[in-house]
Amino acid sequence: MAKNLSGDLQVASANRLTDGVVVFLDDAGQWTARLDRAALARDKRSAEILLERAKAEAFSVIDPFLVAVTEDDDGTIEPLSLREKIRASGLTFDAIAADAVRYA
Amino acid sequence: MPDTLLGRPQHFYRYDDYDRTLVAERVEQFRDQVRRRLSGELTEEQFKPLRLTNGLYLQLHAYMLRIAIPYGTLSSRQLRKLADIARKYDRGYGHFTTRQNLQLNWIKLEDAPDALAALAEVDMHAMQTSGNVIRNVTADHFAGAAADEIEDPRIWCEIVRQWSTLHPEFSFLPRKFKIAITGSPNDRAAVRVHDIGLRLWRNEKGAVGFEVIVGGGLGRTPLIGKTLREFLPKDELLAYLEATLRVYNRYGRRDNLYKARIKILVHEVGTEKMREEVEAEYAAIKDGALKLAPETIEAIARQFAPPALPHRSAVVPEVEGLKLEDRNFALWLKSNVAPHRMAGYRIVTASLKPAGAPPGDASSVQMEGVADIADAYSQGEIRVSHEQNLVLPHVAVEDLPAVYRALERLGFAEANVGKITDIIACPGLDYCALANARSIPVAQSISNHFAGLARQHDIGDLKIKISGCINACGHHHVGHIGILGVDKNGVELYQISLGGDVDFGKTALGTILGPAVEADKVVEAVDALVTTYLEARGEGERFVDTYRRIGAEPFKVRMYAAL
Repeated sequence: MAKNLSGDLQVASANRLTDGVVVFLDDAGQWTARLDRAALARDKRSAEILLERAKAEAFSVIDPFLVAVTEDDDGTIEPLSLREKIRASGLTFDAIAADAVRYA
Repeated sequence: MPDTLLGRPQHFYRYDDYDRTLVAERVEQFRDQVRRRLSGELTEEQFKPLRLTNGLYLQLHAYMLRIAIPYGTLSSRQLRKLADIARKYDRGYGHFTTRQNLQLNWIKLEDAPDALAALAEVDMHAMQTSGNVIRNVTADHFAGAAADEIEDPRIWCEIVRQWSTLHPEFSFLPRKFKIAITGSPNDRAAVRVHDIGLRLWRNEKGAVGFEVIVGGGLGRTPLIGKTLREFLPKDELLAYLEATLRVYNRYGRRDNLYKARIKILVHEVGTEKMREEVEAEYAAIKDGALKLAPETIEAIARQFAPPALPHRSAVVPEVEGLKLEDRNFALWLKSNVAPHRMAGYRIVTASLKPAGAPPGDASSVQMEGVADIADAYSQGEIRVSHEQNLVLPHVAVEDLPAVYRALERLGFAEANVGKITDIIACPGLDYCALANARSIPVAQSISNHFAGLARQHDIGDLKIKISGCINACGHHHVGHIGILGVDKNGVELYQISLGGDVDFGKTALGTILGPAVEADKVVEAVDALVTTYLEARGEGERFVDTYRRIGAEPFKVRMYAAL
């Protein structure tokens, strides 16, 4: 069952400067492309601190911001909004491959 | 004038030394700007306007490079280069847009200067594909080939391109500015829904000039453009455009992003007042430096001289035979092949909308395949349509079977141009940082549902246009069926409108039917609308004709009952 649907749970995200890839700040203050390694703020004060840390580590990323997430009983976190779900997990359809002659 | 591109004459503008120097300098400037950004010398705040000026956006997952394809015209060499850039610096595919541009969705910042340098090798760039400037000028995608063409609009597009490129006075307009030009009475360039639309026409004295239409546009506040000048002599075009832009630059609103387009200015001050202001400004400058000398026009026009097409037979037994043998080929001839100005030739549209595909997307292999077909059968020329298809403008009738088979191998021979699956769709929330809802998966669902060609041809001409937000890149306001994605409390909903059109003399904005529908109900909604039409249509009526005759109510009742 999802917890904190009010959006109290948050992670810090940004796009990587070199290639725009979506990244999340982990507990060690490193940017990672893996949402499951993101540092999780569980209350408003922690979220403010997390965002400050993200901004302090923003040399290699663009415009850090907080993303509201949910956490399942098994600890899996998922963004609340569709936009952030798509940012975290990619296109919702199969793009055509470079060597594809046909879309299939 | 033969060019050196593959040893083949090129029948459209080639860069001169001035153009090449300008573009090359911009590439090197940007290379230095990127280096300084990556080293931390420039902040994102400082860098963002610089990258946008070079067409480099940051989208949801990556940087996106928007490449200008002036007036939608490409040589085979240019298309091959685009394929090569997509393969080398992106993920091997690109998205052709409603502004006749190509977007590459996965460009790395550090690669962007090299991609721009590669573009410059084939006289292309990405300047003025962003920002509050005059954007890439668009044109009829049948330009230079259409049977109904009065004059090739690309000559004038190129003149406008040269005037507007890095125009110092118009580099910080209140908002972006889009110009479209058509040279045919059948408007394939949607000129009434652009900031300025220009329509070449011949008056009763036999002179060709422009109808100047100002203040059209889609987006948050859709408006149909108003005619400021019924007939403008061609050599006065730049002075009149300069005057119009000056009035807009002076009076356009800069206090509110949503009210900054010229359409709002025209709407607020009224057509008469706008005309008065433009004409006053124009009177002051019309005999100045912007009056186009005949030799200047002629020099540009020479570069668009039509290819010397040899005489070919208009009736070919093999084509007639294949029509009888192959039902899909016969349907393809009806929907994807248009009349050419020469009797033994046709214009072929390669559909970038095979069943279930993301509209407008093409892989590098497919782009190269189209370039090969263009070399073999279409004078090495390709056009990009604002409806997100590719066009082979000069195909001999006798070559139609070979072109059909070659396109079939690429998956681009779907006989659906102008039909219900020839859907315009913006990239939507799958890519776009501005979008509220997805567009491509909705287009795919509709495309799969109506995939049968016989049914599509029975339904007839029906234009579905889908936008993932109110900015309307998918032109939903002018779709016979328009679909707008909205976000309501985190849920994607789709607002459906009917009756939009861009046909000249019938340009209309769609009417919203009622409450938005859920994503998984869109196909059922469209199916109900189509069923209503099929049951009510009169002889020869298209979907939009029936809508005009019977109104929205029967469609509305049927659609909501089906959900």
